[in-house]
Amino acid sequence: MTSVVQARAGNIETHAPQARATVATWHAGVWLVWALAAAASVQLASSPVYVALLVAIAALAVSAHARPGPYARAFPVLVSVGVLFAVVRTVLTVATTHGLGTVLFTTPHVVLPEVLGGFTVGGSVELPVMLQSLAEGFTIVGVMAVFGAFNGVVTHSELVQSTPRAFYEVGLVVVVALAFVPSTLAAIGDVREADRARTGGRVVRRGRLLRHTVPVLELGMERAVTLAESMDARGFARAGASPRDRAAGWWGVASLLALGGAFVALVGQSRTPAAVLGLAGTLGLAAAVAIASSGRQRARYRPTRMRRADWTVAGIALIAPVGLALCSIVGDGSLAWYASPLRWPALHVVPALALLPLLAPVVARRRGLA
Amino acid sequence: MTARRARPLLVYTLMVVLGGAAFLYPFWLPSTAFSSQAHNGDAPLVAALVGALVIVAVALEVQRGTMNGATVAILGMLSACAGLLRLLDLPGGGSGIFFLVVLVGAAFGPRFGLLLGLCSMAVSAVVTGGIGPWLPFQMLALAWMGGGAGLVGMWTARLAPRLEVAVLAGYGWVWGFVYGAIMNLWFWPFARGGALDWHPGLGFAATLDRYWSFYVATSLGWDAAAAITNALLVVLTGAALLRTLRRFAHRLEPVVEFSPLDLEPASAERL
Amino acid sequence: MSAISMRGVSYAYPDAERAALTGADLEIEPGELLLVVGTSGSGKSTLLRCANGLVPHASGGRFAGDVVVFGRSTRSHHPRELADVVGFVAQDPEAQFVVDHVERDLAFVLENLGYAPDAMRRRVEETLDALGIAHLRDRDPASLSGGEQQRCVIAGALAAAPSALVLDEPTSQLDPQGADDVLGALTRLNADLGTTVLLAEHRLERAAPLADRVVIVDGGRVGTPGAPGALLAGYPGAPSVTRLGRVLGWDPPPLTVRDARAWAAREPVDLPDPPERPHHAPGEVLLSALDLRVDLGGRPVLRDVAVEIRRGDVVALLGRNGSGKTTLLRVLAGLLAPAAGSVTTVDGARAAYVPQNPNSLLFEPTVRREVEQTLRLLGTRDHGDVDRWLDALGLHDLAARHPRSLSGGERQRIAIAAVAVGGAPVLLLDEPTRGMDSASRRALDRAVTQHAESGGAVVLATHDVELAARCATRAIVLGDGDVVAEGNARQVLAGSLFAPQVLRVLPPFLTVEEVERELTRP
Repeated sequence: MTSVVQARAGNIETHAPQARATVATWHAGVWLVWALAAAASVQLASSPVYVALLVAIAALAVSAHARPGPYARAFPVLVSVGVLFAVVRTVLTVATTHGLGTVLFTTPHVVLPEVLGGFTVGGSVELPVMLQSLAEGFTIVGVMAVFGAFNGVVTHSELVQSTPRAFYEVGLVVVVALAFVPSTLAAIGDVREADRARTGGRVVRRGRLLRHTVPVLELGMERAVTLAESMDARGFARAGASPRDRAAGWWGVASLLALGGAFVALVGQSRTPAAVLGLAGTLGLAAAVAIASSGRQRARYRPTRMRRADWTVAGIALIAPVGLALCSIVGDGSLAWYASPLRWPALHVVPALALLPLLAPVVARRRGLA
Repeated sequence: MTARRARPLLVYTLMVVLGGAAFLYPFWLPSTAFSSQAHNGDAPLVAALVGALVIVAVALEVQRGTMNGATVAILGMLSACAGLLRLLDLPGGGSGIFFLVVLVGAAFGPRFGLLLGLCSMAVSAVVTGGIGPWLPFQMLALAWMGGGAGLVGMWTARLAPRLEVAVLAGYGWVWGFVYGAIMNLWFWPFARGGALDWHPGLGFAATLDRYWSFYVATSLGWDAAAAITNALLVVLTGAALLRTLRRFAHRLEPVVEFSPLDLEPASAERL
Repeated sequence: MSAISMRGVSYAYPDAERAALTGADLEIEPGELLLVVGTSGSGKSTLLRCANGLVPHASGGRFAGDVVVFGRSTRSHHPRELADVVGFVAQDPEAQFVVDHVERDLAFVLENLGYAPDAMRRRVEETLDALGIAHLRDRDPASLSGGEQQRCVIAGALAAAPSALVLDEPTSQLDPQGADDVLGALTRLNADLGTTVLLAEHRLERAAPLADRVVIVDGGRVGTPGAPGALLAGYPGAPSVTRLGRVLGWDPPPLTVRDARAWAAREPVDLPDPPERPHHAPGEVLLSALDLRVDLGGRPVLRDVAVEIRRGDVVALLGRNGSGKTTLLRVLAGLLAPAAGSVTTVDGARAAYVPQNPNSLLFEPTVRREVEQTLRLLGTRDHGDVDRWLDALGLHDLAARHPRSLSGGERQRIAIAAVAVGGAPVLLLDEPTRGMDSASRRALDRAVTQHAESGGAVVLATHDVELAARCATRAIVLGDGDVVAEGNARQVLAGSLFAPQVLRVLPPFLTVEEVERELTRP
């Protein structure tokens, strides 16, 4: 199932290298915070009405801020994946759940053997079951829409550049990989044509996989070695490991142990220690990253920092999930919708207003160039 | 074993335990204190967060302070190839990324295989515009596949080439199912409803039962196809690719032998 | 005090049977441009990499002797610690970019060396101006031409203002225009900034006049450096005018066309005209194309092109980059369908295409198996064709070696053998001499002439006018998709900007060999 998801999401081609277009949009960090806030909001306000609002906000974001190139396609692709998933899920649920409400129609049914669970597939198709499962599927569509918008809007190179200094080498691997993509694609094309040329234009299928993959890999490895020499000759990894890296390593171990402790506490039914240890683990890892980053004194060339406007907008976006959490604590009943008893989903003013801050990066434009 | 050498092992063990606990949550979360109907859908996102934290810790550790130019360049190039392979729509939903990660892990060792798993999934997500809460688990699963292949490779390097390829093909076949099972398990709580329902309060056996039914119903077919594809690709290309990759292994950690400075020309020829 | 001093350097790659360098002694003066010359596999590249520590630290292996670079010994200094005094540029321009953004890639060395942000900005702007690439700063390197890419790579190596620059065949993958740009930039750097330049090159026509001194490397041994004219006179890969000077007894032999013309004016040469080419009457038509029109990516690449290939022809296809040479070859080979027009082969005569990059073909572990693979793919039996082609291209001694351990020129020859063994009468070679040293070029000349004389035909798409001058019987010039000139090789080459060096000095002679033949004729 997830392979289909991956395959569908993977049908986006990389764009041809061209002169760069600068789009005046928010910093990648802002969009990341926005995406996380919006995803949390979908979970907190899972009623179809609110989710529809969020999908609309995401669609607005894409239409206003989409980057040129094929990345804008991420939104429709991911949304359609979500829809597909929801439909399949609904069919499965409807086919296997019976005896809960008004029957729409009946289909022939088969009882599965004990090995596979022993329940009935087919039979009565019931309205509340279908509606409930459609509503839950819709929340998945909501999450997909949020991340589809994120992928369509964010400048990935900026995202990679903004990784903390502690992860510089790993980030560099991603940067180098992206720089290698066009030449790898070109090499694949060349190899396929050379193979056809060898046999005078005829395609010989036998052993073709090997004749294609080995030259591409060899070419790639030779290029990688050339790049490695160039990087060495340009002083890469001059600084070496610092004592702060070792300290960061130990902080990392301690944090993982704390998280492990939280897991044990959860299984052992104690809430408070679990929450405390979980929080401690998370903060410890943040500290580890900070220590490692501070140990690397390395100025970046013309970094794109988050300015005050960026921080403000990111903060505004965070108001939405916080507000919805407050509504849920207060006991607003419209946030979650259930199919029985059957009624229209309610739209309350306060939660709807709480969703509005997510519009902040969508409607506001950053002043000045990117 | 010194503390310095023990630390990486500790981190990798914790990575497996915590990562495994994170995505196996449908099995143990029902029996805990945090079960409430209204927040079922949160669990996958929280699990993703835990997965991301685990990746952060592993990334801090596996860099070991610094990587040399050859490691970064070769990792980058192989991540690009693997990331592009994911774009290939193979029959039955199999993906070319797996066989390459397995072979590279076997050729270059567990640490490199782990890094390759993490980086190729990240590159693939950037190239295809597929960043989302599913990404931490994809990265972890592929990292385990690559690291495990490295451990297997350390053992099979002593075997005959055909036997080695057969073992790695089997490894790829098994991991076709494991990878699919991991991603399914993570998605599963989204698929609530009816007899296949998961909700907190179920016992372990009942959960397992339902998960098995869900898995069979939705993705056993796909994953079987992916597993066969993995094995087939390894069998067809394994020998040649392993040979190619191993030729470059000495570049990752070059070993230099210096002769003493005043060497006669005659003895210099004997090098 | 010398800038770079190598004493008694011997080196062997890991798992190699023979040493790559033995007892190398070399002193490089600060501010000079030293040209390193040698055949492939002679140890040139190894010598260059010793100068910045890549050998032995990046490749491993066994190292003896000492290399001192501006006071630092490479025994104790890793290449990354020498990055502020020595810059390095390799052959393949595409593979030397870390980031897919020119300006950020340029700043990579500055980030590594820990420059402050203001200093970084200043250095980047200065370097962009020094190499004249300021208009390329926001571009993706993959979208640039070869010459532009290589200049950006040089900028990346130069950003930290190193005192020396080491370049390993920087122009071998470039077209003549790009090569000119790069060598011009190097000369300016050497003259204006006083950067010491250590340069290895095959194509000496352009590089030899720029050098202060030349050193020849052969079989791992480094000769004594000397003046270019004197040292290159006896070298088989010398520029054509230099070899001409040696044949005609001009001493010191000229390095440029201008010097050669001065000599010819002082000591006029009176020789009978060379015989016409081709030596035999042309045979029947093997392949003909009419009214070809090809559109690629919406743009017309070939407009109304008609071509006829006869038995015994060696046709040189000349033209600027982008004029449609490769496209025409692909259409003739049947790999690309034209939008209009037709390609007809007579008597089932096939055309086999050898691509520009030989690395796209090679995947077997030995040379012999690579050539045999084609026969296996075509399903035909070997009637001694494999050995015939291995001999024709001078690959017999290398038959058991791994193709990837050989040089670019040798790989190119293997690719040609692997395609030609299929028995196609018409061979279409795309830029065959790219990256070839003189030994490979001679082997190629022999193979091409032999194939044409034994009843086949060869079409060479090339920028290398010397190759066209040596082998071609006919020439076709393409310009912007049209056939601009066509006819006898001597006539076409004489009337265009594609004239080889000898033709500019002693018309109507095309090559030094022709002059030699007329001289020794009784």
